Amino acid sequence: MKMERIGPPRDYNSLMNLEEGWVSRDVFFDPAIYEAEMRQIFARVWLFVAHESQVPKPGDFVTTYMGEDGVIVARQKDMSVNVFLNSCPHRGNKVCHADGGNARRFVCNYHGWAFDTAGKLMGMNEERCYDPGDIDKSEWGMKSVAKVATFKGLIFATFDPTAPSLEDYLGDYRWYLDCMLDSDDGGSELIGGTMKFVIPMNWKMAAENFIGDAYHAAWSHDSGAKAMTGGMAFPELDLHNTFHASANGHGHEFGMDGFGDIMLLGRPKVTEYFMQVLKPRIEARLGKLRSTIFGSIASATVFPNVSYLPGISTFRTWLPKGPDKTEVRTWTIVNRNMPDEIKDELTKGVMQTFGPSGTFEMDDGENWENSCSTNKGFVTRQGRLHYRCGISRKDDHPELPGIIYRGQFGDSNQRAFHRRWLDLMTAESWNDVPDRQGNRLKGRETRDLHNGLRSL
Amino acid sequence: MNQLAQKIAPLSAPAVDLVVEIQQVLYREARLLDAERYDEWVEMLAPDLHYFMPNMETRYRADKSNIIADLKRAAYFNDNREDMLKRLDRLKTGTAWSEDPATRFTHLIGNVEVELTETESEYRVYSAFLLCRGRNESDEDIQVGKRKDLWRRTPDGLKLVQRTIHLNQNTLLSKNLNAFL
Repeated sequence: MKMERIGPPRDYNSLMNLEEGWVSRDVFFDPAIYEAEMRQIFARVWLFVAHESQVPKPGDFVTTYMGEDGVIVARQKDMSVNVFLNSCPHRGNKVCHADGGNARRFVCNYHGWAFDTAGKLMGMNEERCYDPGDIDKSEWGMKSVAKVATFKGLIFATFDPTAPSLEDYLGDYRWYLDCMLDSDDGGSELIGGTMKFVIPMNWKMAAENFIGDAYHAAWSHDSGAKAMTGGMAFPELDLHNTFHASANGHGHEFGMDGFGDIMLLGRPKVTEYFMQVLKPRIEARLGKLRSTIFGSIASATVFPNVSYLPGISTFRTWLPKGPDKTEVRTWTIVNRNMPDEIKDELTKGVMQTFGPSGTFEMDDGENWENSCSTNKGFVTRQGRLHYRCGISRKDDHPELPGIIYRGQFGDSNQRAFHRRWLDLMTAESWNDVPDRQGNRLKGRETRDLHNGLRSL
Repeated sequence: MNQLAQKIAPLSAPAVDLVVEIQQVLYREARLLDAERYDEWVEMLAPDLHYFMPNMETRYRADKSNIIADLKRAAYFNDNREDMLKRLDRLKTGTAWSEDPATRFTHLIGNVEVELTETESEYRVYSAFLLCRGRNESDEDIQVGKRKDLWRRTPDGLKLVQRTIHLNQNTLLSKNLNAFL
């Protein structure tokens, strides 16, 4: 079947020029672009669906979304994880209405079609209505995703059987993810409870903030920083010994001050634990470089829609709900081996800073909403947005993997985010998606590369 | 059955005067919050305050895990008095940009029910709230829920010792919760 199209196909290349350093406002507004993102990005890439700690036992499940597709993420008896569409293949009804729980099976409310925890059709109410030959139950389960894989506690899934392996998809960014996921031999876990709130904005506005926008922090969050630290503002700008690092559209901006983000939690017991216990542990496990990166002023995004603050310990996903609506789901991420008291202090610290009532979060949502809503104006959205900050600060760092720019106050990771976006929007297949400095560490356990590239 | 709705048999019925007094305190508290008179509101909080608004989750009835009552899980608020003062400090910096222009708040408080407790000077108080927020050009947010309080009589008047707040919304259908309930 040929798709009817009105007018010529969209030239996505005309929406940005990342060498010049600008992006069209349309990418944050246009409903047609949003629809294309669902196909070109969310139906193809690896998406975070759960942390292993959310589904520890057989039958444990959570519900979430991949793009706008509702899915059930369920732990099986053999301890593998299955991910399948939360929609009955009979008439399409939503099958599971709970955020999570433990189930032996999932039964549709409409006609009583019953599925096992892997999504396989077991049977239905009044099965005798179906004559022999009417239905092959093995063919009519809830539709599974193409692939499920985990990276150090995070469970990802993709709808695309041709997607690269998760390890290749994350690429060299794994080295940075280790700072949060592999800083202790017990690994990480999410504190129970998924905070969910809705910001009227395009999902990319938040994802690109977390990937690189240290610049907004000192201005946007002056009030939050002062409230949490008893009056201290953000530290002085350092444009030399701070960095933007990206690989394949994933990015981490960070300082090397070692404690800036930790201080912002305003929890002395956490500060003490991080400085006295965790940092020496990270140094031994991941090397001095990453023990310095951890806890510094920093933020990060895994393309397309997972963001986190290492040290502060908020971890979230931006679920697209239309071109101008995003559901934020947030958690506190901790190390499993932390004492209960520290986990509790971190949970409270994250709540007070980056919960929906948090002293930092509240200032972000309003800015992101209104950075998108102004583009409703026809004339307004003909304009370009400025992404040139620090464009000449590219650095061939001897140790840091990925594409490196000096100075965490800049647009470099944001440009890398939009470049990956453009790669995917224009690529017909994964073979057409270029490597963006993503795989120099290929095949290596990134934990052991203490000096980054120099360890190779 | 959620925790707030659990009926504990009162020791004896409270006097009408006491019910009226507590209703008036709740209305006064609502008026102070509406007007952002937080310094006066803080005076109504006991030193040993626990202010708890858990994260809501949708679970099947058969799920008996009672996660909403778990103090270790995610929450909007799980604050003592000192934590609460930190939040209020943000508003005093003059750089809480999202609070300027100011939000127009209305806290409607109803369904007030007072119970005596085993401690003579402390009262269990149930209420329902309707929070209406208007902001900027056309923002409107409405949240509805229930509260379960413990109020203590002191020489300086009635003080809030414990408050548990349950929101009806599972997903908060707002960009933030810049309000105390």
